[in-house]
Amino acid sequence: MPGPLDGIKVLELTQIIAGPYCGIALADLGAEVVKLESPVGDASRKIGQFAPGESKAFHGLNRGKRGLVIDLAQAEGRKVAHRLIPHFDVFVTNVRPGVAERIGMDYETLQTLRPDLIYFDVTGFGHRGPSAHRAGSDAMVQAYSGLVAGDLKVGPRGAPEQITATAPSDYIAALGGAMGVCAALYHRERTGEGQRISSTLLGAGLTLQTPWAADVPVSDSILIEPLRQMMSEMREAGATYAEMIEARRNRPNQGKAFRIYYSGYPVKDGAIILGALTPQNREQIRSALGIIDDPSDSSEFNAIGPEADAIANRVEEQIRSKLASGTMAEWMTRLDAAGAPASPVHWLEEIADDPQVVAMGLMPTIEHPLTGPERHVGPLVQMSRTETGTSRSSPPLDAETDDVLREHGFTEQQVAELRQSGAIGASAGD
Amino acid sequence: MAGALDGIKVLEVTQIIAGPMCGVMLSDLGADVIKIESAAGDGMRLLGQVVPGESKGFHVFNRGKRGMVINLQAADGQEVIQRLIREMDVFLINARPGVPERLGIDYESLREHNPTLIYLENTAYGPTGPSAHRAGADIIAQAYSGLMAGDEKVDEHGGPDLITATTPADFVAAFTSTIAVCAALFHRERTGEGQKIDTSLLAGAMVLQNAFTSRMPVSDAVLLEPILDGLAAVRERGGGYRELLAARGGLRALVGGAFFLYYGGYQTSDGAIMLGCVTPPNRQQVRDALGLEPGDDPTDDGEFNALADGSAEIVARVRALISERFASDTTESWIARLDAAGAPASQVNIPEEMIDDAQVQALGIMVDLDHRLTGPETMVGPPFSMSATPLAAQGASPPLDGDTDEVLVEYGYSVEEIAVLRSSGAVGLPGER
Repeated sequence: MPGPLDGIKVLELTQIIAGPYCGIALADLGAEVVKLESPVGDASRKIGQFAPGESKAFHGLNRGKRGLVIDLAQAEGRKVAHRLIPHFDVFVTNVRPGVAERIGMDYETLQTLRPDLIYFDVTGFGHRGPSAHRAGSDAMVQAYSGLVAGDLKVGPRGAPEQITATAPSDYIAALGGAMGVCAALYHRERTGEGQRISSTLLGAGLTLQTPWAADVPVSDSILIEPLRQMMSEMREAGATYAEMIEARRNRPNQGKAFRIYYSGYPVKDGAIILGALTPQNREQIRSALGIIDDPSDSSEFNAIGPEADAIANRVEEQIRSKLASGTMAEWMTRLDAAGAPASPVHWLEEIADDPQVVAMGLMPTIEHPLTGPERHVGPLVQMSRTETGTSRSSPPLDAETDDVLREHGFTEQQVAELRQSGAIGASAGD
Repeated sequence: MAGALDGIKVLEVTQIIAGPMCGVMLSDLGADVIKIESAAGDGMRLLGQVVPGESKGFHVFNRGKRGMVINLQAADGQEVIQRLIREMDVFLINARPGVPERLGIDYESLREHNPTLIYLENTAYGPTGPSAHRAGADIIAQAYSGLMAGDEKVDEHGGPDLITATTPADFVAAFTSTIAVCAALFHRERTGEGQKIDTSLLAGAMVLQNAFTSRMPVSDAVLLEPILDGLAAVRERGGGYRELLAARGGLRALVGGAFFLYYGGYQTSDGAIMLGCVTPPNRQQVRDALGLEPGDDPTDDGEFNALADGSAEIVARVRALISERFASDTTESWIARLDAAGAPASQVNIPEEMIDDAQVQALGIMVDLDHRLTGPETMVGPPFSMSATPLAAQGASPPLDGDTDEVLVEYGYSVEEIAVLRSSGAVGLPGER
């Protein structure tokens, strides 16, 4: 069963995460994805490399692709790329603003070579506005968009700490690109028209915070204005970052009664998370833990009354001491039996062997030609009629350059000459 | 110019975030999205409600939709869905596993009425496996998938603290769902075939951690096995969550310590700054802006070995030096110098203040909407832009039961039929009966 994008050809000029992950999403949907690298390769090949030019990050973010090396700094290299473009349906890039124009890979240029091309570019801050020229990486856009402050982490010396579990803006911008490409393919199928799609790390960061970034005056006058005012007063008074985060963490009107059942607690051998969203969920948790005197879900309870906090603190302490008295397995058995939403806190290095992950086939095994078998997080979705996923690993640098050129009409002699001139192929010594 | 999904009709039975956000994005792409709620409404209406049934959370995750109330527990309510579905292209649901079957709105039932239907089901753990039946929420997926431990937050009691800046698993599931619907529409256009799509919060959370979760024996022997051994040793001696975190963090800090010197935050004299360097030239730009001399930081020299004795002390010395420099001047002054050097860096902004940011305004990220009950509001608009088929926010969220009659009339119900459905309680709110 072929994937939904079967037969679609994608050329990507990308590095690090945002561009490469968009390529993976398209490859998982069945597209043929060719990654175009410079002679030194994607910088993520060197981040934690375990064989020359091969790193876990690169493998994870480039599986399912074929590899092509062209030196776009040379006129001859640009000609090769331009000759390939008419054969491709989709072009994906995450170079800095202005770079695509400089190397002749901007939308205007490529569109003249393939009028119905679908062109996707992702940048840190977009193509206009006071920050358009700035380089963007996930950590700085996390800070810029408010994600870092919203995560409330403060390190030693009062320094802000980013979300370390993932690169949220990068992934969301990549997924937005894959969505745009699929929608644009649908549009092209209906009308014959190609187009340009743009996403930004900044837009992605804000999308992730849509409830906090929004301005809904009726609601904000009660819940947000006091916070905005507190922040601005603290700044005036010269408060440190750590002090502002602490004040934000402890601000009033936070729905403490809700949060004690939507929170994490230590147990003897690790930690458990409770994830109750409804009164029924909270009742399931109370019955599993044997908590009988929490009035906060009764209809007479005043959630913003003066006693609410004291009651919430007492119940929280009860939950904490109950959970601390048992192990993860003991409590999970009871919570599961009550149907309560809860989970052990897992370690991501161990998740590949988790029975649910295995049962869902979320981490298929793929063979890398240089470094052997590896298990990766697999396709985003499962579809009943169009298979998703890939069995191809990330490409070694320059692995399929000659094959791709030959498939697209270059003769053996032309390929040899291009290699000779350095227009294609990895740089010597790499 | 119409959106890419112009003319596509979507019916959603969704709540909270993962399902509703998928509906928002389909609507941004031009689809006509109709949200079905029970008389009690999406649970999100009550989270932080200010006007009865209207909360900020509901407004942002349901903009651009029309709203209907249908009682899916009642046979005549289910019949309404079966009649509407014939003219729909896409159906979205994020109920608990088993619920669609119980309500007669599972894929097999609905495709009988519409064989080319694209049916998307989002659950916490996916349709199969030992946890398939379990309830889920974003916080559960964060914990189960490893994201939470990966964020390394510990509260004052030694417990895990969630990622509070966003609900990552929900959002990724919403994005993957929307991608899949678009891909399935493309497939249907080429072949005439509809299909069922499954997405899960677990898969969404796993996608976000790609490199940490994957297994590559050649690399893992050096970088991963020691972490697994460390975790096992802590468990062996009965250690708790904080010790487990420390065991995981130790080797990573050693290997990645130099990288995180220039990919992380520092305090300034009046606030904080974040560096986002991923390449050696980026790091040199920061050193230039800080006025560091050659020799002040040997970690980018070819010879520096993170695993060698004494390397942790070198990284700590450089960190102290960088910290001291940043603490000596204001955020604004450092950003100006870092920008001039071309170094990737940013001040640390507060989410609630982003609406006034000049770059956010220049890109038109926020859209102005007018809610029927609560008036004007401004929120994050479409997540990307398209040149031929522009995305556009289609309007504010619907009040509960806001468009039930309008939609029913549009799909062929007579005024008399609607009155019968309302009086039986199949559609609409109970108060009016």
